[in-house]
Amino acid sequence: MHLLPKFDYYEPRDIGEACKLLSQLKGSARIIAGGTDLLVNMKKGLLAPRSLVGIGKIPGISEIEPVNGGISIGAHLIIQKLVEFDLIRKKLSVLSRAASVLGSPLVRNRATIGGNIVNARPAADLPPPLIAMGARVRLKSRRQEREVPLDRFFRGPGETVIKPGEILTHIVIDALPPFTGGDYIKLMHRRSLEIAIVAVASRITLDGPDGVIRDGRIILSSVAPKAIRAVRAEKALIGERPSEGLFEHAGQIAATECTPIDDIRGGAGYRCSMVGVLTKRTLSGALREAKGQ
Amino acid sequence: MKKLITLIVNKRAFEVAVEPNRTLAQVLREDLGFLGTKVGCGIGDCGACTVVVDGRPVNSCLVLAVQVNGSEITTIEGVSEGAELHPVQEAFVEYGAIQCGFCTSGMILSAKTLLDRNSNPSEPEIRAALSGNLCRCTGYQKIVEAVHAAAGMMKK
Repeated sequence: MHLLPKFDYYEPRDIGEACKLLSQLKGSARIIAGGTDLLVNMKKGLLAPRSLVGIGKIPGISEIEPVNGGISIGAHLIIQKLVEFDLIRKKLSVLSRAASVLGSPLVRNRATIGGNIVNARPAADLPPPLIAMGARVRLKSRRQEREVPLDRFFRGPGETVIKPGEILTHIVIDALPPFTGGDYIKLMHRRSLEIAIVAVASRITLDGPDGVIRDGRIILSSVAPKAIRAVRAEKALIGERPSEGLFEHAGQIAATECTPIDDIRGGAGYRCSMVGVLTKRTLSGALREAKGQ
Repeated sequence: MKKLITLIVNKRAFEVAVEPNRTLAQVLREDLGFLGTKVGCGIGDCGACTVVVDGRPVNSCLVLAVQVNGSEITTIEGVSEGAELHPVQEAFVEYGAIQCGFCTSGMILSAKTLLDRNSNPSEPEIRAALSGNLCRCTGYQKIVEAVHAAAGMMKK
């Protein structure tokens, strides 16, 4: 049976106290939110923090709130609520879709959006749609508060720009322009409890219901050390009239922008090919949503 | 250092002193004697340890007992009303949805939570709701049929 190593447990009542604890405990403490990643790693002996700081009792970091037409999401919100909440389903359906294929229902009832971000796994489900929609993360420490665009947050597997003593408290997404749509497709060997072979999130903003593409984003997941933007494929979309041919072309470019590895889930060559396919499909899905269909 | 916590298990409050590194599954089984909660993989893959915490089914092997201080927990022991089985339990027996029984507690708790929220689930909805609970015996078909039948029984 897997047993957890011993540790001290702290339960701060607010963010200020949590930041203070983290800076006092220096590098020996880890934050525990849902625990669905952290406790597995501790049980497997990969991590043995001397202290855990539980943030579940801190008010104000488990809610979804509309802010100036945009949305603010507390880092401690459980993933299942992204699937259930009307505001997310309607305004950020791409995020709901990604949340609905994360782990299993039992995992989604504990795992948090903040945990899925800060663990910085290359195949994490929520960063791609969040980056596609221009999300920023709010980081608080004892002395300051800063916001970082999510596409500049990750450095590599398990590595982020978060500093010791900082806590991710909110994910902020500004109001999206009209005629914007998104889509996320995760290629899996099975439908539940699965890590992506390849996943792609796309977003399109049109300049009118039948207009040209004003803004486009393509985020590739599980094909590089972190979720990456297919920058050249994105550029190929701007100013163009959407069409099957254009999306096919963007997919071909995106397939050359990834650097996957061979592993148990799939070979590098297969993954590149699937980047092309999923890029085209997600762009088509994003277009349908942008047109309100 | 041990912490004193309160767990409301099957509507009864228990005060228990626990080490922070003990999981909810361990405390339920070893301190409180709710042996209906099974531990399979211990890392959140199999769902045998499913219990309902504040209305949501979770893997109790991946929850620290100290994290759910004050929460309401339902284990398989809290599903029946005295000697009277819950419709989901009755249907599992009737449809042969139980073989070795190791996944059954978790299956029934996931199924019951689904039916509490959705009284008329489709087959894909049933399969999705149970997708965190693995069964190595039945091939799932009889379990899905049992949940469907239980939905019918609960409507009457």
